Amino acid sequence: MDTDRERHRARETAFYLFTQQSLPACKPVLTPGWVIAIFLFMGVIFIPVGLVTLRASHCVVEIVDRYDIDCVPEPSRMDKVSYIQDDSIPKNCSRFMKVHKYMKAPIYIYYQLDNYYQNHRRYVKSRSDKQLLDGQKYHDTSYCQPVESNNNRPIVPCGLIAWSLFNDTFEFIREGAELKVNRKNIAWKSDRGHKFGKNVYPFNFQNGTLIGGGKLNPEIPLSDQEDLIVWMRTSALPSFRKLYGRIEEDLDVDDVVVVNLMNNYNTYSFGGKKKLVLSTSSWLGGKNDFLGHACVFVGCSSLTLAIIFVLLHVKYRR
Amino acid sequence: MMNSMNVPSKRSTLERKLDKLILTLFGTLFTMCLIGAIGSGVFIDRKYYFLGLSKSVEDQFNPNRRFLVVLLTMLTLLTLYSTIIPISLYVSIEMVKFIQSTQFINKDLNMYHAETDTPALARTSNLNEELGQVEYIFSDKTGTLTRNLMEFFKCTIGGEIYGTGMTEIERGVAERKGIKVQEVPTSINSVREKGFNFDDVRLMRGAWRNEPNPEACKEFFRCLAICHTVLPEGDESPEKIKYQAASPDEAALVLAAKHFGYFFYRRTPTMIYVRESHVERMGKIQDVSYEILNVLEFNSTRKRQSVVCRYPDGRLVLYCKGADTVIYERLVGGSDDLKKVTREHLEKFGSAGLRTLCLAYKDLAPDVYESWNEKFIQAKSSLRDRERKLDEVAELIEKDLILIGATAIEDKLQEGVPDCIETLSRAGIKIWVLTGDKMETAINIAYACNLLNNEMKQFIISSETDAIREVEERGDQVEIARFIKEEVKKQLKKCLDEAQQYFHGVSGPKLALIIDGKCLMYALDPSLRIMLLNLSLNCSSVVCCRVSPLQKAQVTSLVKKGARKITLSIGDGANDVSMIQAAHIGVGISGLEGMQAVMASDFAIAQFRFLKDLLLVHGRWSYIRLCKVVTYFFYKNLTFTLTQFWFTFYTGFSGQRFYDDWFQSLYNVIFTALPVIIVGLFDKDVSSSLSKRYPELYKEGIKNMFFKWRVVAIWAFFAVYQSLVFYYFVTVSSSTSQGSSGKMFGLWDVSTMAFTCVVVTVNLRLLMICNSITRWHYISVGGSIVAWFLFIFLYSGIMTPYDRQENIFWVIYVLMSTFYFYITLLLVPVAALLGDFLYLGVQRWFFPYDYQIVQEIHKDEADDSGRTDLLGIDNQLTPDEARSYALSQLPRELSKHTGFAFDSPGYESFFASQLGVYAPQKAWDVARRASMRSKPKPKPNKIN
Repeated sequence: MDTDRERHRARETAFYLFTQQSLPACKPVLTPGWVIAIFLFMGVIFIPVGLVTLRASHCVVEIVDRYDIDCVPEPSRMDKVSYIQDDSIPKNCSRFMKVHKYMKAPIYIYYQLDNYYQNHRRYVKSRSDKQLLDGQKYHDTSYCQPVESNNNRPIVPCGLIAWSLFNDTFEFIREGAELKVNRKNIAWKSDRGHKFGKNVYPFNFQNGTLIGGGKLNPEIPLSDQEDLIVWMRTSALPSFRKLYGRIEEDLDVDDVVVVNLMNNYNTYSFGGKKKLVLSTSSWLGGKNDFLGHACVFVGCSSLTLAIIFVLLHVKYRR
Repeated sequence: MMNSMNVPSKRSTLERKLDKLILTLFGTLFTMCLIGAIGSGVFIDRKYYFLGLSKSVEDQFNPNRRFLVVLLTMLTLLTLYSTIIPISLYVSIEMVKFIQSTQFINKDLNMYHAETDTPALARTSNLNEELGQVEYIFSDKTGTLTRNLMEFFKCTIGGEIYGTGMTEIERGVAERKGIKVQEVPTSINSVREKGFNFDDVRLMRGAWRNEPNPEACKEFFRCLAICHTVLPEGDESPEKIKYQAASPDEAALVLAAKHFGYFFYRRTPTMIYVRESHVERMGKIQDVSYEILNVLEFNSTRKRQSVVCRYPDGRLVLYCKGADTVIYERLVGGSDDLKKVTREHLEKFGSAGLRTLCLAYKDLAPDVYESWNEKFIQAKSSLRDRERKLDEVAELIEKDLILIGATAIEDKLQEGVPDCIETLSRAGIKIWVLTGDKMETAINIAYACNLLNNEMKQFIISSETDAIREVEERGDQVEIARFIKEEVKKQLKKCLDEAQQYFHGVSGPKLALIIDGKCLMYALDPSLRIMLLNLSLNCSSVVCCRVSPLQKAQVTSLVKKGARKITLSIGDGANDVSMIQAAHIGVGISGLEGMQAVMASDFAIAQFRFLKDLLLVHGRWSYIRLCKVVTYFFYKNLTFTLTQFWFTFYTGFSGQRFYDDWFQSLYNVIFTALPVIIVGLFDKDVSSSLSKRYPELYKEGIKNMFFKWRVVAIWAFFAVYQSLVFYYFVTVSSSTSQGSSGKMFGLWDVSTMAFTCVVVTVNLRLLMICNSITRWHYISVGGSIVAWFLFIFLYSGIMTPYDRQENIFWVIYVLMSTFYFYITLLLVPVAALLGDFLYLGVQRWFFPYDYQIVQEIHKDEADDSGRTDLLGIDNQLTPDEARSYALSQLPRELSKHTGFAFDSPGYESFFASQLGVYAPQKAWDVARRASMRSKPKPKPNKIN
């Protein structure tokens, strides 16, 4: 009983404090002292974080090679679109990449496309996640406009994204010996396991009059078609990289890697660039100084402001 | 019902300005959509073959029909950017205001009147923040400022002041000078009755016989007991008798006589019976009957009242009481000392806000009287111009009077009124008194309330001038109107010219305008209105007397519409209803005079002094809180929408959404909803006692400092900055692979990252606008952020068989498996808030608001509960010493104002009925009729 009454009284007191608007409160007053202290604190936090981040980024070795123009033979460069659309011309091309710094395995191979709007609304929504998981058990392909069916039979996988699958291929040779490229485990595990069915096989794919990009082996289930899975995780920006594979050997300084590539994919009609990227990885990821620079910048400006405020405080003491 | 108007629906000024802000947002929305739509029309092209534009394409993306593309994209973008319009803002504001009014205003103990058991009542929740911006208060007098209770308070007899009481205004003056005044313990045997608040051992219980001038005292008391038109009612015993009088002043005087031992208990048409105790000796009581021969009645031109009576022993005496000016003109020569001293006393009473009457008498020789009485009877029986003739006859006998002394009646103010008015005027609020009473009364109350004082330059525009009276007597209505209008115009012009001189001077005196209803009627004419407005807005106080209810409303709307200032009307009676409805805010005094005013009002309080709490505490807080809620809502929606807008530029203007639908819908509903409501309820810049102690803080509300376009622009600037930080920091930093596995992020990973940053930042930004942070702030802000994470953990963890567009599947777990997530989550909010923080620091340091200065002065003090008064100044004097010191500090000087006021409160309704206006009948109307019925009776007796 007593506790009941006490609880009742406590509730009443709380309600009293509420209606009389005198709830206990802390009142932060942003005095110059606090401003200086907080700026100092942020400086102290962000400069080390930034430096560590920058160091991680600097450890990463990255080689970028733009090949879309150079892989078109001189005579065809005036009309690259008809060159790329002409199936009779062989599209193979060799590139030489010089390693300027020791690269420790695994070395990730990316292809990078520019001016390619994977995030366009018409493009993003043109897929059927149900179909990817359940295959032809799922018949409604209306999400996949305009590539939903061919010859009145549904396409698996349907939609613009799958249709426009990137299909340049790369082979790497160092000193005459082929470098082994591991093309497994290049997609996020959640995609492989939950979005692409193990029993779903490509069907009626790229059989139409217009071929958008790569073809798929109808023998392999979608969950193992990792190129497709990577491609279908649409990018945020019109300039993006996608993982192609891994080289699981170290590359030494001054090694020259010969890349034999099939330049199949059409970026010429819309003036997009194609690049090949070899990159190692740190604990943080690829070579990107932005985070580090931003942290250092925030830290330094905080420190500078703190110093300015201290000087002002000394000069115009309140 | 000439005075009733359509009941207006009131919206607060802040809400109306909010509408403008919303319109601006709509404008922004359309601009953004237009930019995006034009971009899409330009962008769409067959060359992007991967978009599948070659075959038949729906209209939205058809490169052959670009105009249609623009139109349709426009619609898409409208829905996409619609989050910029804070729809939930209105709901949140309503909730906040509802709780503010029902829980805070209605339950505030500081506004609870224990005697009548009346709490404050907010009858609408629309106008809470309007209370924080009031610049003009229009107040009724009777029942609002005063209690309509006249109390005999002091007197001066034969050059000696009696009465130890202290009026509110004296107390106020003393307090302002920093003297602590102790209540004097009343003497043990003091009598206290409604209408009699007098205590002085030198007079009470017959002690006056030991005073230096007992004869004067005797005349004084007799004059009080005889010279009046009061009717006794009920049992003829001192305890049970009730006096019915045309004015409460008269009743108070007769009551005073009773307590002095001259108990008037019966009136017949010719006689007045007075039970005189302690006349010669203590304890002896005798009934004395005085024959009333003539009654020379009171009216506003005469300003005096006389009675000729015959003592039982045949002595003929004329007793007269009236305004000091008219009495002094009619005094017999000699005894200049007494006159001088009494005048000083009158001035002192006047400056203390008391209503004074001079008493005088005159012995009449029988022959002089008889010859005069003939003239009097003649005048009284004349058919034409009787009033004038009577006045003339009265002049003949009311001369060579002998001054006895003067009475001082306190028109009892409501408790704490002068202090409240003083505080409100320090808060920059100008108070106008609009009353139906006549000018002297109104001025008197204005003095008592501290609205007028002798240092002020007073402009009086009155219709009671000789010139106007002369024209009025001729009776031509058209001519009267024309003349008064001319006169008013002349006066206004003169006053304005004079006022202008004072503006140019650096430290001129404060100005005050006193105008009566008749002049006001013409001054409100469209041609003079501007002049009136110019003059009155420059006056620190304005008193309008003899105004009808309709004119009260007209004056209110003159200021409301003409000056575009926020007005508040306060009143208690039915005659204040139209004024209450006309003002931005109507406040009714609940309790005494019926419910009409309360029913018409927006807020009802029990006492005028609660205005201080209502405006300075609740109004100010509500205003600041609402401003914060509105600007913060604006900021958070703008920030959120702009990230989406920047993304549009990188999607070929296709209208692709950056955030998942659920993120977008829940952003306003869950992830950012509660904290802002908590701020709307709990934010307190300074405590309530500091709000009242520094009323100047209120001026920030009057100037609308917290919801100017400049403030909005600053918020908008930082919203743009933050949205750029969110968008670019997150996208640029995620353009390479993340985590050691070399895998890349997709669109939904990036957008979830950005959304997380937005939610965290926006919630943290809220904490930065708080002046006081309670537990609920932490709970709501922390809760919102936690709610987002809980939501995303669930949402991205579940795959249902029904909706197979799972873009978000497992996204948060992918994100959280990288260091990138944590570094970004640390960096982006800090980088985004850096600008705001710098701004806040610099603003507080170099351009502080007033409240911030007060905050810093008192930052080390514990928050009091608002109940203790910090102002008490301890002094070491004994109560008696302190009191006498306090009295000695009172202004003794110079006052020309002696405080004559003698008028029936029935005047208000009388005047109203003259103008064809309905005013409720009151008790004293009946009394007056009763006294009028009995008065004609002396005449036939006389003829006998």
